[in-house]
Parts: sequence; structure tokens; C-alpha cells
Amino acid sequence: MGRPRGFDEEVVTAAAAELFAGRAYDGVSVDDLVQQLGVHRNSLYKTFGSKRGLYLAALRWHLDHRLPPLTEQLAAGAEVADDPALDLLLLAAVERAPRDVEVAALVTKAWQELDQALQRAPANHTDGTRSTALNALLGERLRARATAATTDPS
Amino acid sequence: MASVRIDGDDLVVEIEGMDRLWSLKSRLVIPLANVRGATADPGIAAEPKGLRAPGTSLPGVITAGTFHQDGERVFWNIRDGSRAVVIELADEHYARLVVEVVDPAATVALIEKAVLR
Repeated sequence: MGRPRGFDEEVVTAAAAELFAGRAYDGVSVDDLVQQLGVHRNSLYKTFGSKRGLYLAALRWHLDHRLPPLTEQLAAGAEVADDPALDLLLLAAVERAPRDVEVAALVTKAWQELDQALQRAPANHTDGTRSTALNALLGERLRARATAATTDPS
Repeated sequence: MASVRIDGDDLVVEIEGMDRLWSLKSRLVIPLANVRGATADPGIAAEPKGLRAPGTSLPGVITAGTFHQDGERVFWNIRDGSRAVVIELADEHYARLVVEVVDPAATVALIEKAVLR
């Protein structure tokens, strides 16, 4: 482990977050990671330990760097249902959180932060419990993703 | 083919059948504390393996034994590699193990669950 890694860990982690936001965890192979992140296989294993290790690092990076701007927008009352920043969280909630307690904890933390941001929003049009707004937002994002898939010919 | 199981606080990797002959090793016992993670990785079979010593390498047939690459020692036991699992270690004789198992997804889940505790 004394050898220099020869790549920027943060850049790789950010790129991995993008990759994992686009498709299912099992749909991203180590071959995909090696090719798209431009990192040698051995370095990936040495640095992150496993695909799951890289995934967790990517999810943490997302919470630290992508979530704060999103919560700021939400708190300012902006519409964010077309923001792909929610996608990694949605995918994590659906496929990884039920089988991985660390992912579940991170997703829960993200929901809490989004909940709080929605509470601070000026045009808080919810009349029910505070998570209603978040549920609506996540549902909207899911529907927006599905719509994008049907209108995009690629 | 290898069988992977958890025995108390150890990960036990047993090389089955004739493969143990080629890899010159039949059993590896690693404390779970030194296991960093596991990944199903069929693509690793196509990677250069480095220098073999000691062990067996018949390209396209079997890769078995200890290989040295980039200053790391890696234990390989795969045939076609389609069911390869990579087990990353820390503070061990081997930096990682690359073994073929019957059910890669189940083996990865088993190890991840054990390491998480």
C-alpha cells in the first residue's frame, strides 16, 4: 500500500457515482469500471477493496458533494424533479439498501436531509406529514426518469 | 473450483479436486479482520497475471498458484474465469485471492455479510 496510486481517488469516486446513478449495481461490471474510470483493475481492488467498497465511497461522495446543492435548491423553493442527482439515491434505495445496512444508513441520512430542506422551503404546499413532500418529489423523479426513457430514441 | 465458507472468525477457502494439485495449496485460512471485501469479476481472467512462482499456468485451461505482479502476491485458482470471485486482503501473505466458485453472487454476499459484522 506504500506505492503511489497513480490516480485521483476523488475523481474516480465521482465518476463511479455517475456510473452507478445510470444503471443497476449488478449491471455495472468490474470491466465497465476499469474501462470507464480508466483505472487498473489491481488499483481498484487495492484502493477500494471491492466493487461494494467503491460503491460505498461513491455514495458517500454523492452525499457530501451532490446532496448539499440539491438541498439548497429545495430550501429555496426550486423544482428539482428533473435533477438526476436523485437517481443514485433512488437506485440505492430500491436495490442496495434492503441488502446492505451501510447503504441503508446512507440513504436514510439523505432522506432526512432532503426532508429538512423541504421543510425550510418557502412554498411548502404540504398539508400532511413532513415526509409527504419528499415522497412526492421522489415519485416525480421516478416518473420523470421513465418519461425520459420513452422519449429518448437512444 | 474453490469452496468458500466462514468458520468462526475465519474465512476458509478450500481448493477442490485436482485443482489443489495445480495450485500446490489446498486450503487457505484468513482471519475475517484481514478480509477487505469480495467481488464477482469474470473479466479478471483476461488480465495479465504476472510472474508465476510457484504454480501452474496453461493459458485457456487453468491458472493456479501464486503469481507476482506490481509488487503484490496474488493467489489464483481459476479455469475459464466465468465464475471468478476476487477476495481482497490486508496484512496477509497474499494481497488478493482470485478463485472460481459455484455461485459467485452467493459467495460475495456471504463474505460481505461476514466482513460487515
